[in-house]
Amino acid sequence: MSDLAIDIRNVVKRYDEHLAVSDLSLAVPRGTVYGLLGPNGAGKTTTIRMLLNIIVPDSGTITLLGTPHRTRGLTDRIGYLPEERGLYKKMQVRRVLRFLAELKGVPGREAERRIDEWLIRLDLKTKERDWGLAKVDELSRGMQQKVQFIGTLVHDPDLVILDEPFSGLDPINAQALKDSIVELKARGKTIIFSTHLMDNAERLCDSVCIIAHGEKVLDGGVAEVRKAHSGRMVALAVDGDSRARIAPVLSDKTLVARVDDNNRYYELELAAGADPQLLLRRVIDTGVPITRFELVLPSLHQIFLERVGARGVEEGMTGHG
Amino acid sequence: MGKLLVVFRREYLERVRSRWFIIGTLLGPAFLLLIVGAPRLMGDRSDGSRDVARIDVIDATGTGLGNRVADALRARYPFSRAPYVRTVDPSKTALEEDRSVLRVQRDEVLGALVLDSTTVRGDSVHYAGRNAGSHMDVDAIRNVVRNVVLADQMASAGIDAKRVDEFSHIRLDMHVQKVGDKGIEKGNPIAVILLGYGVALLLYMMIVVYGQAIMRSVLEEKSTRVAEVVVSSVDTDTLLAGKILGVGLVAITQVVSWIVLGAAALMYFPQIMGSGDHVAGVADTSSAAGGAMAGAQGGASAAAALMKAGLPSIPVWATIALFLCFVLGFIFYASLFAAVGAMVNSQEDVQQAATPVMLLLVSSAIFMGPIMANPTSNLAKTMSILPTSAPIIMPLRMTLVPVPWVEIVGALAGVSAACAASIWISGRIYRVGLLMYGKKPTIRELAKWVKEAR
Repeated sequence: MSDLAIDIRNVVKRYDEHLAVSDLSLAVPRGTVYGLLGPNGAGKTTTIRMLLNIIVPDSGTITLLGTPHRTRGLTDRIGYLPEERGLYKKMQVRRVLRFLAELKGVPGREAERRIDEWLIRLDLKTKERDWGLAKVDELSRGMQQKVQFIGTLVHDPDLVILDEPFSGLDPINAQALKDSIVELKARGKTIIFSTHLMDNAERLCDSVCIIAHGEKVLDGGVAEVRKAHSGRMVALAVDGDSRARIAPVLSDKTLVARVDDNNRYYELELAAGADPQLLLRRVIDTGVPITRFELVLPSLHQIFLERVGARGVEEGMTGHG
Repeated sequence: MGKLLVVFRREYLERVRSRWFIIGTLLGPAFLLLIVGAPRLMGDRSDGSRDVARIDVIDATGTGLGNRVADALRARYPFSRAPYVRTVDPSKTALEEDRSVLRVQRDEVLGALVLDSTTVRGDSVHYAGRNAGSHMDVDAIRNVVRNVVLADQMASAGIDAKRVDEFSHIRLDMHVQKVGDKGIEKGNPIAVILLGYGVALLLYMMIVVYGQAIMRSVLEEKSTRVAEVVVSSVDTDTLLAGKILGVGLVAITQVVSWIVLGAAALMYFPQIMGSGDHVAGVADTSSAAGGAMAGAQGGASAAAALMKAGLPSIPVWATIALFLCFVLGFIFYASLFAAVGAMVNSQEDVQQAATPVMLLLVSSAIFMGPIMANPTSNLAKTMSILPTSAPIIMPLRMTLVPVPWVEIVGALAGVSAACAASIWISGRIYRVGLLMYGKKPTIRELAKWVKEAR
C-alpha cells in the first residue's frame, strides 16, 4: 500500500486556448492535512475536479489511495465538498442525506444510523425539533451548510476533498469545520482543501502547495516552507507619531524589496543581498523610537505575495483570511 | 447497477410521493374529459337553443321555395327563432341581399340565405352570415335546403307529395364494421377512433409533461449546484439513465392508476358515463364532420361508446408495440429534454432552448386530426414511420387501420436508432453542460461539447 493518499504526476488540462493546469505534480502523504493555495483561477478547482474524475486530464496520471483514480468504486472512499454548494431544495433533509450516502455505497439502514448520529452531533436534531424531517429549503443557510457537510462525510471517507470549504461559512460553522478537520486527521484520514485564505491554511495544514496560473509555485511542509523563506522578513514597529520619518529608509530599494504596512507594525521583505543589521542602523539613525525589530518567519501570506506577486493579487486574491 | 438503482429510486419516489403527482393522478382524468368533452357538451346545448334558423331567406325563385325552406328550418330547429322569408324579384336579389347584410350587421338576424334559379336546379345556394365559419351550422342549413330541393324535384318528377314527404324523412342508421386480417373485427369503429385518439393524445401528453419534468430536474440540479456533488459519486451516464427510467416509470405509474381508476369508476358508477343517446350523437357527428372532429368532440362520450360497443379487441402484439412506442418515444424525447436542461442555466432560457424539441413533438399533435380523418393517406404513412413522430402517430394509425407488420417493425427500428443517437448526443451534452455555467452555448459550442466530451 502506497503511503501517498494523492499522487498527481505531470497532469495537464487545457480548455480551448487556456491552459488551466500545466504539468502539475503533487504528492500528499496519507493522514495529513494538505492545503492547495492559489488565487482564484489558478487551477485549484480544475485540479480537484480531475481528482474526482469529474473532468479528465489531457495527460498525466493521478493515483488516489494507491489506486488509479478512474478505478470503479474508488469515489466511494472519497468525500467531496464543492465550492458551489447546493442540495435538492424540495427534498426532506434525511432523504437527501440517505441519497448521498447510498450513492457512496452505504446500505440504507447503516446510512440512517449515521445520519441520526450526525444530526444530533451538529445540533440539527434536538429534543425540541428534528430538522432531519424538514425540507431543505426550510433550513437556514447555516443549517444547510451543516447538512452539506454531513453529506460529505456520512460515508466515512478515507480521503476528504474540500474546495474552498471556509467560504461563506458563518464563524460558528467555520469553527465546527476546523474541529472536524482536526478530528478527521486524528482518525488517520487525509484531508486536502483548497483555499485562498492563507491564515486558515497556516493554522491547519501540515503541508501546502501554492499554485498560480495552473503551475505549481512551491510545495512542502508548512514549517519547512516558512523556514526556507526565513531571514528575509523583518517585523518593524516604531512609535506611532514618527512613522513619516522612516519613510525614506523604507523606500530605499537597495535595502527593502517590499513593504507591507499592517498599521501596528510593518512587515518588510529585505532586498536581495541586503543586511538586516544595516537596515536596523539606518532606522536608528533617523532617531525614531523603535518598539519592535525582529527577524521573523514569513507568514504563508507573505510567501504567497512574494512568490505569486502582485499579478496573483490582481487576479482575485482576496484578503488575509 | 447499484448507483443506477439509487438514482432511479430517488427520481421515482420523490415524484410519486409529491402532492402534485397525487392531485394529477386523481384529477387528471376529470381534466382530460373536460378538455376533450367541453366542446361537445357546449355543442350539444347550443345545437337546440341557438338561433341557427333565425335568418333572412331571400326567395328569388318565384316557386315558393323560400317558404318551404323556412318550414323545414322551423321543423329542424324547433328551439330557434323562426326565419324571415322575403319573396323578391330576381332582378332585385343583390339589393335585397345588401339589406339583409345590414340586418346581420345590426344583429337582427344571424345570416342571409339567397335562393335563386340555380338553387331550384339543385346547383348552388348562397349564404352570408355571422356563423359562416361554423362547419356545423353551414352544413345544417345546406342539408335542409338540399332536402327541400330534392323533395321539390321528386314532386315535379311525378312522385306523390305524401310519399315524397315520407321519403325525405328516411332516417338511415349506418352500422359500420372494421375488417381486419382475420375478418370482421369486434367492437364499434367509433370506439376504435376514440381509442386511437385517446391513446395518441395520452402518449403525447405523457411525453410532453414528463419530458419537461426531466428537463426541469436537470436544470434544478444545475442551478442548485447539487449536480457537482452527485457527479463526484456517480458518472453522468448512470445519472441520466436513472433519471429517464425513474421519471418514465412515474409516467407509466400514472397511466396505470388512471386505467385502474377508470375501470373502477365504470364498474361502480356506469351511469355517470351517460346514456346510449350520446353514442348515436357521436355517430352522427362523425359521419357529418369527419373523424377528426368526432374524436375531439365525442371524447366525453368515449367511455360510453366503448362501454356500449365493448372495447375494441387489441391483440397482444399490438399492445406490446404500443408499449414499445411509448418507451422508445419517451426515451428519445426525454434525453433531448435532458440535454436542453443541461445546456441552460435559468428558467427563462430553458423555454426558448426547448423550442426545437417542442416543435418536433407538436408536429405530431398537429397532424393527429388529418391522420384520423384519413389514416390511409401518404401523410399518415410518412408520419407513422418518421422516428420523431412515429411514437405518437403509429399507435394512432394502428388502431384505425391495419398496418403491415413490416411498417411497424420498421418504425420501431427507426425510433430505436433515433433513441440511440439522441442518447449518445444528449449524454455528451449533459456531461459537459451539467457543470458549465455562464451564457447559453451556441450551436457551434454545442457541437464542440459533443465532439470533445470524453
